[in-house]
Amino acid sequence: MARAGGSGSEGRGGGVKGGSVPLLAWAGLQVLLGAMLAIWSGGMPSLLLIGGAMPLVVLAAWNQGRAAPAETRLLPGESMPVAVLAIGIATAAVGLTAGLWLVLVGAEIAAFGAVWLAREMVLERRWLK
Amino acid sequence: MAVGAPVALPAGRALGWLVGTDHKRTAARTAVVSLGFFLLSGVLALVMRAELAQPGLQFVSDHSYDELFTMHGSGMIYLFLTPAALALGLYLVPLQIGAADAALPRLSLWGFWTYLCGGLAMYGGFLTADGAGRDSWNASIPLASSTNTPGVGMDLWVIGVALAVAGSLAIAVSILVTIVRRRAPGMTMLRLPVFTWAMLATTFMVVASFPVLVVAMGLLLAERHLGGVFTGATGSIAYQHLFWFYGHPVVYVMFFPFVGAVAEVVATFSRKRFFGYRALVVSLLLFTALSMAVWGHHMFITAAVQNQYFSLTSHLLAVPAGIEYFDLIATMIGGAILLRTPMLFALGFILQFLIGGLTGIVVASPPLDYHVNGSFFIVAHFHYTLFAGSLFGLLAGVHYWFPKATGAMLREGLGKLSFWLLAIGANVTFFPMFFLGFDGMPRRVPDYAPRLGDLNLLSSIGAGVIALGVLVFLANVVVSLRRREPAGKDPWGAQTLEWWTSSPPPRHNFESLPAIRSYAPLLDLREAAEAWPAPEEAAAKEGAAA
Amino acid sequence: MGASTRQDFDGLFSLYLWIGIGVAVLVFAAVAFALVRYRDREGRVPSRRSEANALELGAATLIVAVVSLLVFRTFSTEAKEDSTPPAPVRIDVTAFQWGWRFTYPGQGVRVVGDDTEQPTFAVPGDETVAFALRSADVVHSFWIPGERFKRAAIPGRVTHFDIRFEDRGQEEGLCTEFCGLRHSGMRFDVWVLSRASYQRWLSAHR
Repeated sequence: MARAGGSGSEGRGGGVKGGSVPLLAWAGLQVLLGAMLAIWSGGMPSLLLIGGAMPLVVLAAWNQGRAAPAETRLLPGESMPVAVLAIGIATAAVGLTAGLWLVLVGAEIAAFGAVWLAREMVLERRWLK
Repeated sequence: MAVGAPVALPAGRALGWLVGTDHKRTAARTAVVSLGFFLLSGVLALVMRAELAQPGLQFVSDHSYDELFTMHGSGMIYLFLTPAALALGLYLVPLQIGAADAALPRLSLWGFWTYLCGGLAMYGGFLTADGAGRDSWNASIPLASSTNTPGVGMDLWVIGVALAVAGSLAIAVSILVTIVRRRAPGMTMLRLPVFTWAMLATTFMVVASFPVLVVAMGLLLAERHLGGVFTGATGSIAYQHLFWFYGHPVVYVMFFPFVGAVAEVVATFSRKRFFGYRALVVSLLLFTALSMAVWGHHMFITAAVQNQYFSLTSHLLAVPAGIEYFDLIATMIGGAILLRTPMLFALGFILQFLIGGLTGIVVASPPLDYHVNGSFFIVAHFHYTLFAGSLFGLLAGVHYWFPKATGAMLREGLGKLSFWLLAIGANVTFFPMFFLGFDGMPRRVPDYAPRLGDLNLLSSIGAGVIALGVLVFLANVVVSLRRREPAGKDPWGAQTLEWWTSSPPPRHNFESLPAIRSYAPLLDLREAAEAWPAPEEAAAKEGAAA
Repeated sequence: MGASTRQDFDGLFSLYLWIGIGVAVLVFAAVAFALVRYRDREGRVPSRRSEANALELGAATLIVAVVSLLVFRTFSTEAKEDSTPPAPVRIDVTAFQWGWRFTYPGQGVRVVGDDTEQPTFAVPGDETVAFALRSADVVHSFWIPGERFKRAAIPGRVTHFDIRFEDRGQEEGLCTEFCGLRHSGMRFDVWVLSRASYQRWLSAHR
């Protein structure tokens, strides 16, 4: 693990909150285009457009709610559990075609990875303090 | 502006290469794996061109050919160009904005591993009894049902695609949050470098459309195993809407990072800051937003979509595209242009993508699309945009940033040779396809009318030249890493923050940062000092100081 | 009587082709100019100009004007193709894996063929022929390159369209929507005949 400082984004005319502006502008364009399509022909296509913008609006809201990142930042070095989690999920997905046994094996691996990951992140928080 | 003293990581551990969370490592991993899938999918294309060189079936069966074109297209889109574009962003964005690492590094690591598993699952289909996926890169209802396309290989394709796209989505989210939250002091949104802006706009499209594809694949898997998902007269059309809502933006995901890379290269090698920055930002937002609303043009021939709306939005794409071209050329005008390898690839991108883009305007018109849809005209169109365009843009970026990432320069001679081979190969392979399509050759066929044999032979010869060009590029990479020419911090006399730090950068990217007053901070410093060393002089100074 | 389907296409395509070529020549010339005039040489100092918003706005307006022309012409051609004039000749087409069935309702004529023996049907030239396209299984596509027109055949739907055939002679037809193993063999031919020959063909095939 390594520590590095000064990765905050405060600054004149900038700042973390400023980052949300392009997201909201773009989401606004999506809603506009979706509304146009809804008027023109309606149906599923316009819902796809308007719905597609929603994750970005959520992200912008999350960004506004959270404080700017701390001055000192912990950079994790490695994270084995992440790979285990990914492989577990992928195995379970492939298992959907191979049989329940593989789905269960994959789920077990994923659960193991998830617990390991949680532990790793908790330990990291403690180390930082 | 000083950064806190970091603790250095132990270098070179095997584990670090597999699961290290440094954004540079994750990006490098993703890039290398995507290169592997490029070579694999490229070999499939060579087999296809060998078969198509003459009328009749010579080497492969109908069944195998269906696997070939499916896995070539799928491999190139899901497993090569999309991950490579995101890897380029993941590597460079934290450096360009002065951050110590990407945000959510575990998320992008998860994304890499998920994408890798997806790719292995897809290609794993070749090992099954019925073969790999064989319903084209987009699949269709009802052809992709388990009755029409049976076999585990097709299931593995569906699952593999979902995993690869989910993995790409994770990497994109990491990049997006990085830009929003991790900019260095003074790096406001309107001082982001052009490449970073292009990546930001790219991640918007990814976040808005990639989840829909994952859902579509889930529904397709359910259709294959449970049935009853896409039923009745509307089932086929509903699937097409779900798919193409992703299927169009993804081709822009495979374009914008590379136009951003080309913009950086053109600025650096014209020795000027990029022209028309604000116009570019507006056009990036407009272009990417519009690109979400054009997908119906893939469905004009079904007569089941609102043709006028989608034709209008598709035509409007020409406006922001035109602004971007204006800016690129205006950057060159008044400059002092150096024709190094990165600049050659950038110029190749500009001219060749144009041909792809203009033919794209043709197919934005439904009456014209009614003739060329589903023919080799379309194959030519998208290979001009994706291969002669995006891949050349990627290579421009690779040749430009390779010294930063590895500390070694790529060889100029080999670079230029690979450029000319690829440029000649690309045009000889794909230009004849416009005529083949117009004259009545459909796509996805291993055999065709005998009168089309000559142009097909020419196209296949071009494919061989492309293969040579790729080999020369690979040789360049190997030679340059074996017998290293040290690059130094800033071999090109560039403009953005990544060139401020060492090559390669340390784990935490920066020991210090300069003042940030625009989207070209290093150029600002140079102009203020009124010093103007040529790249060779700058390199010599680095060498003397080191 | 009216333009054929192919003529409608050709007229519109010419417009797009020449504008496209014009734009390409312009861009190639601009790039060549920049490379020659602004090549790095001894003593060359690059300009520091990096903005020209009025010019950019002008360029954008020009592009919007060209795009408007293209969209207008496209919409009018499309409206023309979508209109349904009276059509005495009607043909029902059914696509299936991997062949075609052509039925002339009310005439008692039926032509079927597949990838082993490709079917041929006939139409009269210079008259509007109304098609009703169906699929028996998966998505196919009905393309006659010589007439510059295709439509998708979607299971569960009927797609109606008109073609006005122009040339006399034999035209080839193909499926252009990947539909499985023998997709490349799914072909047909069309005889475009004079009215009299067409009537004779109908009688012969009853």
